[in-house]
Amino acid sequence: MSKHKFTRACAALALTLVAGSSLAAEKKLTVGVADALTGGGAVYGLPQANAVKMAAEEINAAGGIKVGPDIYKIDVIAYDDKANPTEATNAVRKLIDRDGVKYILGFCCSGSTSAVASFIGNEKAVMLVGNAAERSITTKKIPNLVRTRPPADYTGQAAGTFIARKGQKRIAVLGALDVGFYAQYVDSVEREIKKVGGEIIAREVFSLKDRDMTPQLTKIRGLNPDAILVVGYVEPAAFVYRQAVELGMNIPRYGFTSGSEEQFLRVTTSEQMEGVWDLRPTELTLLSASKNGIAYHANYTKKYNASPSPSSPYAYDQLYALKAAIEAAGTVDNTEAVAKALRNLAVPPQVVMQYQPVDGKMFDVNGQAYTSNGAFQWQKGKWVFVEDLPSDSKAYSQFLSTLK
Amino acid sequence: MLIEILQQTINGLAIGGVYVLIALGLTTVFGILGIAHFAHGSISMFGGYLTYFLVTAQGLPVLAAIPVALAAGILLGLLVEILAYRPVRNANHINAFIVALGLTMMVEGINLQLFGHEQVVIPTGLSRVFRLGGITVPELRLYVIVAAIVLVVAMMIFVERTKTGQAIRAVAENRDAAILMGVNVRTIPLIVFGMSTALGVAAGIMVGALFAIAPGIGEGLVVKGFAVLILGGLGSFPGAILGGTVLGITESIAAGFISSAYKDVIAFVVMILVLLIRPQGLLGRAP
Repeated sequence: MSKHKFTRACAALALTLVAGSSLAAEKKLTVGVADALTGGGAVYGLPQANAVKMAAEEINAAGGIKVGPDIYKIDVIAYDDKANPTEATNAVRKLIDRDGVKYILGFCCSGSTSAVASFIGNEKAVMLVGNAAERSITTKKIPNLVRTRPPADYTGQAAGTFIARKGQKRIAVLGALDVGFYAQYVDSVEREIKKVGGEIIAREVFSLKDRDMTPQLTKIRGLNPDAILVVGYVEPAAFVYRQAVELGMNIPRYGFTSGSEEQFLRVTTSEQMEGVWDLRPTELTLLSASKNGIAYHANYTKKYNASPSPSSPYAYDQLYALKAAIEAAGTVDNTEAVAKALRNLAVPPQVVMQYQPVDGKMFDVNGQAYTSNGAFQWQKGKWVFVEDLPSDSKAYSQFLSTLK
Repeated sequence: MLIEILQQTINGLAIGGVYVLIALGLTTVFGILGIAHFAHGSISMFGGYLTYFLVTAQGLPVLAAIPVALAAGILLGLLVEILAYRPVRNANHINAFIVALGLTMMVEGINLQLFGHEQVVIPTGLSRVFRLGGITVPELRLYVIVAAIVLVVAMMIFVERTKTGQAIRAVAENRDAAILMGVNVRTIPLIVFGMSTALGVAAGIMVGALFAIAPGIGEGLVVKGFAVLILGGLGSFPGAILGGTVLGITESIAAGFISSAYKDVIAFVVMILVLLIRPQGLLGRAP
């Protein structure tokens, strides 16, 4: 090859490379996860962080996020907020200030999430909240915040209707009632059972770290309730179910916990759980799951060698919603445009949870998504989806809009 | 009402038994060596985790895993004495205090690294419930209460009736006089730490079987243990036994009859009230 020809070949090659790169430059988009990876909240937070990582791998394998001529591959940084407000604030500050992250996902627990929500409105970042159910997170009209899980009282209303229909009038509550969203759930239940002449005869409390609930249960047993309602994190709730049986309490047990079979069976036996109801967002239970849900369960189990917690898809869905919003906005840098696109988003086809869109959109004007609610019962070692709990997402959305 | 009081008393006895064992371990070390052994709770949790590991990962029956965990606990206690506390024994008290704090963090870290961050419950297979009148006693709680009584009695016999026990008491009363009487004071701290850690490990196993073991639980236990020490009287074995039992039952009755929201607070209020009347604790000696 002559020197002239060689130069021309090199020039042509360079031109091809430059042209190619301008057509589809592969870039990196780092998303952050702030969640409880250790401590009491880790039963919800760790599966959420795993779910985001899995979604990122799937999206990357399917070609990444397409923004104009660019393709973004997702990189995930996850920090442990221990479900603690101070730790969560530090984790998010680190993500924004040091790592330059603009999109932050995860957020399983209400206290830590509320702390971050209090300042995220001032940041050029988008916050996608998962399992945290405290209502006020989406009443503050924060434009760059959306949440995939419905507020607790949205579910509580449906749960109250279900309990009222079952005919039990005197309900004793035992739960983490010092946590706002659990109290809101119970208030909603109370409103519904009062309509049929029922009442809540006791409101006993346990804390996140409590494992001995026999004193409270003994007191409740003395009141002869028709049923018991347990609201709280999986681990203390599992002890309540176990200790209620040990105290010979043979009454219906309702709950609001969202724990997987595996999580409950670490504490109780299947016999001790038999007949327990969980009245919660439909979430991920194989019997109620869509095709996406079944695939998610299989992929998660294969990847992490453990079943996903029912609430973990809230975080998985966050990343698919974010991908769709970024592609719709046509930018990764303009967080305002992405936040706006999130609020105008139809439910992406890849999501796992069964969302009930409001006016055709996944998130309402408050940034709130709604899933269906369901009644699940523990039968022979597993949660069985028994029925849908009627829920009106549009009416609740209007109610939410009236709150400050 | 009577049935509820009796039921709450039985509920409180099981957790009270755990407090007694923790407090006895702490009071032995504090009374004889003057060390506030904050790492005691974390070491207890190590024992519980180890039992869980032996049962679930190694397939040992619980009754076989417990002696192994107790032996490992005693060994750990000896190492703690030799490596951590012995070098600062003759130094200022603040040195032992700092070592105790550092040791707590270290053992917590080791637990986290070895056993992970998840809550674990030691599977025992004991799920029967005994009923007597209106009172119910789960099989596991009954065994915990019995085991705590057996351990306390064994320890009291050891301390009161054996020569080594007499030597321990002699060192606690007057170290210099004990040396003059020919007591080998170099071995006493080793025995004390071995004994204290064995009691702590037993308490950790009970907590793991009755409730759960998780990071941070050891810290809560050691706080309760020190509360029992103060309630019962610093350095007093009978005081620790009485104090632990009173605290366990008070917590249970307070949760049942006053408010579960303030269970811990009420127990500590009772402790303060006792101290206002008897500043030396229930069975402590007046200075």
